[in-house]
Parts: sequence; C-alpha cells; structure tokens
Amino acid sequence: MRALLPQREGSVHRDGVEIFYEVYGESANNGTGVTTLVLIPPSPISHSRIWKALIPDFARRYRVVTIDGRGNGKSGRPTSVSDHTRAANVADIVAVLDATATERAVLVAHCHANWWAVELTSAHPERVAALIAIEPGVPYLGTPQPHWRAAAATWDKQLDHPTGWELFNRHVITNEHRRWIEFFFGAQLVEAHSTKQFEDAVSWAMESTGEILATSEEAQDLAPPTRQEFEAICRNIKVPTLVIHGDRDVCQHVDKGRHFAELTGGELVIIEGGGHLGLVRDPVRVNRAISDFVDRTFGAPMNSHVWTRGLSRRKKALYVSSPIGLGHVRRDLAIVSELRKLHPDLEIEWLAQDPVTVVLRNEGETVHPASDWLASESGHIASESCGHDLHCFQALRTMDEILVANFMIFQEVIEDGMYDLVVGDEAWDVDHYWHENPELKRGSHVWMTDFVGYIPMPDGGDHESYLTTDYNAEMIEHIAKFPRIRDRAIFVGNPVDVVPETFGTGLPNIRDWTEEHFDFSGYIGGFTPPTPDQVEQWRSELGYRDDEQICIITVGGSGVGQELLEMAIAAHPIARRSVPGLRTIAVAGPRIDPDGLPRHPGLEVRGYVHRLYRHLAVCDLAVVQGGLTTTMELTASKRPFIYFPLAHHFEQNFHVRHRLDQYGAGTYMDYATTDPDRLAAAIVRTIGQKVEYRDVETDGARRAAAMIAELV
Amino acid sequence: MRARYPDPEGTVVRDGVALGYEVFGEAPRADRPTILLLPTWTIIHTRFWKMQVPYLARHFHVVVYDGPGNGTSDRVTDPSRYTPQSYAADAAAVLDVCGVERAVAIGLSRGAWYALELAALRPDTIVGLVLVGPALPLAPALPHRAQIGDHFLDPAPQDPQGWDRYNLAYWHAHYDDFTQWFFEQVFSEPHSTKGLEDAVAWAKGAGPSMLEAEARERGPSRPAADLLAEIRCATLVVHGCDDLIQSHDVGVEAARLSGGTLISFDGSGHMPNLRDPVRFNRLVREFVERVA
Repeated sequence: MRALLPQREGSVHRDGVEIFYEVYGESANNGTGVTTLVLIPPSPISHSRIWKALIPDFARRYRVVTIDGRGNGKSGRPTSVSDHTRAANVADIVAVLDATATERAVLVAHCHANWWAVELTSAHPERVAALIAIEPGVPYLGTPQPHWRAAAATWDKQLDHPTGWELFNRHVITNEHRRWIEFFFGAQLVEAHSTKQFEDAVSWAMESTGEILATSEEAQDLAPPTRQEFEAICRNIKVPTLVIHGDRDVCQHVDKGRHFAELTGGELVIIEGGGHLGLVRDPVRVNRAISDFVDRTFGAPMNSHVWTRGLSRRKKALYVSSPIGLGHVRRDLAIVSELRKLHPDLEIEWLAQDPVTVVLRNEGETVHPASDWLASESGHIASESCGHDLHCFQALRTMDEILVANFMIFQEVIEDGMYDLVVGDEAWDVDHYWHENPELKRGSHVWMTDFVGYIPMPDGGDHESYLTTDYNAEMIEHIAKFPRIRDRAIFVGNPVDVVPETFGTGLPNIRDWTEEHFDFSGYIGGFTPPTPDQVEQWRSELGYRDDEQICIITVGGSGVGQELLEMAIAAHPIARRSVPGLRTIAVAGPRIDPDGLPRHPGLEVRGYVHRLYRHLAVCDLAVVQGGLTTTMELTASKRPFIYFPLAHHFEQNFHVRHRLDQYGAGTYMDYATTDPDRLAAAIVRTIGQKVEYRDVETDGARRAAAMIAELV
Repeated sequence: MRARYPDPEGTVVRDGVALGYEVFGEAPRADRPTILLLPTWTIIHTRFWKMQVPYLARHFHVVVYDGPGNGTSDRVTDPSRYTPQSYAADAAAVLDVCGVERAVAIGLSRGAWYALELAALRPDTIVGLVLVGPALPLAPALPHRAQIGDHFLDPAPQDPQGWDRYNLAYWHAHYDDFTQWFFEQVFSEPHSTKGLEDAVAWAKGAGPSMLEAEARERGPSRPAADLLAEIRCATLVVHGCDDLIQSHDVGVEAARLSGGTLISFDGSGHMPNLRDPVRFNRLVREFVERVA
C-alpha cells in the first residue's frame, strides 16, 4: 500500500505521447504562499515511484507534482530517437507545469533528469524558483569515469561475451534488458543491506523496455552544447541551487556534483558512504536537506511555539504503540498504569494510529494530534494478506515507504515536544531510522518487542533466507555500532521464549544474542485471568450453562480470517454428532459480514462481541489464528484451544508456536492440510479437556514499568 | 577575558554625542544581513549581549553599540537623546558608519521600541526584527507595576516595598539597592546569581543621573500598535512566560500586530538571552537565515 495517494492525477498529450502526472499537498501552504516541488525522475530507467520515500513528507509542507517521464510509468512508450531528446523531455515538464497551473516551481531532479532541469531553467528562468539536483548527471563536469568511457566505446558493437560495464551496449540493453538493469542497479547500490531498494529499482526499470532505454540513451546526447557553452549555462543559473551527492556514486562521480554546485553558486550536501540513489537509500537525510533548503530559500516563517526551560519542565514521555495487532496497546496500557505508580508526575502522550487510538481515547489517554497524519500500517498489513495467508516478512519490507513517512512525523513530534523518554512498542520506524540517522535521537529510548529475528519460511527457498539473513545482519550491525540508540531493550517474555534458531549463516544464535542485548519482563497480558470461582460466575453472566460445551471461533479484527471461520463453521455440525450439546459461537469481527456465513443448529454467528476475552477465558474450547495475544490469553486462562498460524507468517509459525510450546499450551494445526472433518475430530478430542499449562506470569507489566522507570 | 574581542571598534558622533560601537565577524555580505544588537534601558550597556556575540559572529556580521548614558558612549543628561526616535537615529548612524545595507535589528525591553522606530526610519535596511520581552504599551501592566509612575517624584520612601523603589529620590539615595532589587525582578529564574551580579555591575556605569535624564524624556512618540502594523519585514517575538517586568501578553500582542512569530520561553524572565542563551542563539540564527 502507498503511504499517500495523490489528490489528483492527470496527463498531457504532446505529439501523440501521453505524459502522466500526480499532484499532492494541494492544501499545503508553508506560510509564504504555495511552494510547488516538481519531482523529475530519470526516465525511462525509472519513474515517479522513485520519489516514494520523499513524497509524504513534502506533501505536508509543499504542493508536490510528480511526473512519469516518457517511456515509463503511466506515460507513453514512444520508441524513436526523436521522441527521447532532451528537448522533448523539457517540453513535457513545461507542459505539466502548464497543465497543473504551476507558475513557478522548485525543480527536483535525479541523475540525467538534471540536464533537462538545467535546460529548462536556462530556457524558462521565469518558471523556476529553485533547482535541487540529486546526483546530477550533467555533461562535462567533474572527473571522467573510465568505466563509462570504455563502455561508450563499444556501445554499438556486437560483443561475444560482454560482462560488467560492457553490458552498457545497445544490443545487450535491447535484447537482455533485465541483465543490464540488474547489473546497473547492483553496481549503484553500494550501501550494504539494499535488497529492497534493489528490487524496487529493478522492477520500476522493467516497466519500460530495453529498446526504449537504448534509444533514450542515444537521444540524450544529441546536439550537445560544447563544454564552454554548458559551463556558461550553469554559471548563468541565477536561482538558488542545492546539490545532494553520494561520495561513492559510480554513475555520476561526486566531483560532478561538486563542480555543478560551484558553477551555479549552489549549496552542496555530500552523503558520505552513499551511492547513486540517496533519495531511496537515505530518505530521511534527503528529506531534511531539501525541506531545510526550501524553507530557508523561501523564508518560510517559523511556527510560534512555547519552549520550556529545562528546570521548568515536567517529565514527559512519548509512547509509540504499534497498530499491528491490538495486543500491543493492551499491554502498553498495563505498563503505563504501573509506570504511573512509580512516577505519578510523568506526563505521557501517545503517538499511535487507528485502531489503537480508539482504545486509547476510550481510556482517557492523551493522543498526540500528529497521530492523525500517520500512514496506516494496519491497513497495509491487511492489504498484504490473502485468504489464510500473510507473508508478514514481505509485508514489513513493502511497508518501507509507510515507515519512513511515519518516522518523519515522529521526528517532528519529538523535536518539538521536549520529551525525556520515548517508549516504542515495536515502533519499527523509530528504531530503524534512529539507527540509520543516529544524530536525530532525542531523549531516552526504550525498545520493546515480543520476538527477535526474521526467520525464512521454508518454501521461500534460498532467496528468502538470504533476505532474512540480510535484515537480521543489518539489525545486529545497528545495535553493535550504536549501542546508545536503545537505552533499554525489553523482550516481552522470558529467555526460553526466544527461539533457539540462528539469525542466518555467519550470524549468532538468536537466543544467545537476545539474552545478551535484552532485558526480560516476562509476558505482559494486560488482563488478569479469572479464578476458578470467577469462571463459574462469568459463565453464568455470559449465559453459558454448565451442561453446554462452548466452542468459540475467533479470527481477530481483520478480514484475513474468513477462510478459517468458514472451515470451523463447517466442522461444527460434524463435531456436534460426537459432542451433544455443542454450542459454537463464531465471531465474525468488524470486517467480515456475519450474514454471509452459513447457519447450523447450535451455531451462533456474531458480528462483534464486547469484551471477548471474558468469553475466551471461560470457554471449553477456542479455535483461533496463531496471533500471540489471543493464544496467550487462552494459555493464561488455561483453556484448551486449537490454533492455525497464518500461512507464511513467520512470527506466528515460529515465534508464537515456540512460546506456546514452552507453556505446553494449545494444539497446533496447519490450515493447508486441514479440512472440516479433521478439524471436527480435533474439536471432539480437545473440547473440555483438562489442561496442564505452565502458569503465565502476571507481573510482566510491573517489571517492564520498573525497567522503564529507571530512565525517567 | 571576553570570549571574543571586536574586530574593529570605534566611535560615531551624532549631533555632538559620541557613541561607542563594536563590530564582529566578516564584512557585510549582500546575501547575509548584518545583525544589529540594540541598546536597551541605559541602566546596562552592550555587555548584556555577551552570550550572543561570539556565536552570532561566527555566522553573521554583527554590530553592537552603546546608547547614550552608559558603556563607551557619552554620559548625556539631555532627555531628548533618550527618545525611541533619537535611539533610532543613533542606530542608523552606527549602521551607516559600519557600511551596513541590510540588517536584522534585535531589541530587548525598551530596545524593542528602538527597533520599531529604526524599522520605520530605515525600511529598506531593516529586513527583520527580533523583539525580546518588548516593553511596549500593548497590554495592561502587570498588577505590581500598575502604579509605577504615580510616586516617581515623591520623596524617597523610608521602608520601600517592591516597586516603591521606582522613585527618583530613592535612586539618588540608594542606587545600589535599587539596581540589586530591580535585577532580582528581571531574573525571575532560580540560580541567576551570575546574571544578577553582571547586571548590577553594568548599572554602575550609568548611575542615577543617567536614569533620571532618560526617565524625563517626554518626546513625541507614535503608538506602538501603529508602528507594529506598519512593519513590512519578518518579525520574531521572544517573551518569557515568567517575565515580571513586561507581561507575556505584550509579546502576544506584538506578534499578533506585526503578523510575526511568537516563541514563548516558559519559565523565563525578562532577559532570556542571558539565562537561556543556547536556545536563544539558535533561534536567532534560524530566524536570520530564513530572512536572508
């Protein structure tokens, strides 16, 4: 799912070619009138999605227009050389400026699109308010790069066994497009742990064709100015200029950026250690560099605010609670309640999103208004699931633009808010981007999680295990390099709950590493199970008779569970033959239409059940997914239950299952190999069974609060 | 020892009064305005900017000068030299002699009024204003100061309470007691002993006769609200929430009337530049960079 959708989109037609554009942030106004940023991708090797990590942050401050250059994205695919000249691209941009009623714009261009931006600025200075050149690909300037020069010499030749930069060849690009693209972006992404950026860049490039790419390469260099002429054009650029360049860029040498900044009298930001794709690889730094430049250049007024002297402040914490699963907010509220006993004067604000904010507001907690700006993580996760299947590792990977968008908001909140403490319960964005941009950390930081380590699903093969190993390695390197970012890391559980697996080839054992780097709070349920006396009382309050066998089927709040719900409903009449008086309650939840489900005697279908945990705590059997919160509630209440981890959900399949095994709790079943008959047999076997689970600790919230309190 | 000594320093004479000025940092540049740090009530002199000068001078061309009556300027008993307009004319003379064509003027307390008059006098030069704890009649006086002028010319009080000390005869008889007490009000923040010592020492440079001359100025002055409404340049107002000299409401009004930004310093008194220099300095730099 995208972090932000455009407010409108459209296209212009020039000489029979459609040029697509999107507009964001129409209502944004930075106080000096509307500033429009026009983002120009280096088409046709990429398209407007290359800006995905920057758009949400810009759109909150500025009006943003993105363009798909000719040859890629949603724009036309002309194939002749004359269609891909610089002049054609410049005219496209001007046409989009006109079509979007953009009188003057800040042009932001990447790589060779900067040559178009320069020519546009030179030909139409009245349309350009400022120029931001990211890794500019302009002719002549800087140091020549031998690999480009050698490749250009054989551009047209039929090579027998081309390798390396020889792949930059008309025939290879035309006939083996992907081979060139993978080589090229592999060479550009010099930064470690760039798997996601590589996949993105390749997939965007592959939306075009090799023929178009090769043609555009030839067209770009047609009718070039002389070196002297080009340098004069650069010197004549009078608009404010910012150049951002990685010093390990092998597409456009950093000296080119330096020289360009010098000629234009522009500002220069070097990203040391960065390659050619700073805008996707270091989006936080690039976002901030651009906003800072634009605000200074256009004299955006400062926001009025109150700054409180250090000694006049009350202690203040920002609690960031993950919206993926409602279990987080339940345990977070339990921790906060204990924390307030230790620090009654601590002010706590929450940065969270729907549906967590609903729970928080009901509890009378203070939800920071910036919460409304956050892009939906739970919406993304729901959109990534299909049937009884959620590849949650890939879902986290494809959530990258949402995480960076939300981090930018978090960082703004933390810089304005004078917080002493940040508690992040699986706040992946905070933890990841603070390690990537350690100079941005403010206040003490508590990181909290109930699992450590990405584990590949067996059917993902070598590639998935390569990816999980890479993600784990990045996390381990982050922690080793910047131990100051996590002032406290709390594992919600016990050491035995950590899987005895490896992080991947050449990496440590997950449990050993976690024991070294975490404190353990024990499980935190946010719920006290009933005593045996209360069980009877609750059952009668809820209308469950002693002579009934109550089976509850619940699949959580998302639409993911429909298939499991249907299978369990089909199992009910079969099981009822062997379990007289079987009464099954199927809870559809808010996203599944209860009227669309079949009916049977002894089966009740309900949409929403208030305080479902009370029902689960006294049932005779529950049939559930493999989520941690629900299964641990059942474990704590010592109820028999059958659980079906979602397919490809590594956390449910490995981490939760391992933890339940430590408690001796639950009956694991595999959805793919189960049918209603087999489920019915399992129901008959397990319903009403006396269980011997290990006790679930009830002091987890208190222990976690004590660990946090030391930092206040 | 000072953290930084002036690059050039000098004296400008306007209508027979010599005013000492100091210049820090590189020569003025077209793309970066000069920062002019204005004098305030003559009870203190330029050194009250001591925590700003070294930092700002690393980033900007900075000019500071003493108004009449204290520091390195002439001791003047003519009340007409203490009107806001006269201060503005002095400031313009200093800018001219320093070759400044674009400047952000920063004025504290009474200095805020001088800054407004200067912006009116030199609208093409002054591209930004920072008003710190402005002493402008824009909101009701704080309750303890409501009758402040009523007993100014009475005989000196025998057992003065609070603002009873705002009395000419008392100044002449008990100057040190007055300045000590006054700056205790200025620094409402705890742990302000050093600021207090400094300010009391700077006050010795003026003495009661200078304060008397200034107190007797009755020059024509335009309503502050009119001056603020006329301002075309960017304005930043900084005001302590615990300012016991000028109500925080004045800062709120100054920001509203000028269409500027208000940064409230919660827990701060009348001279946040001395008590919270880090926050203040960074704020000024950010503001001036945006104005540039």
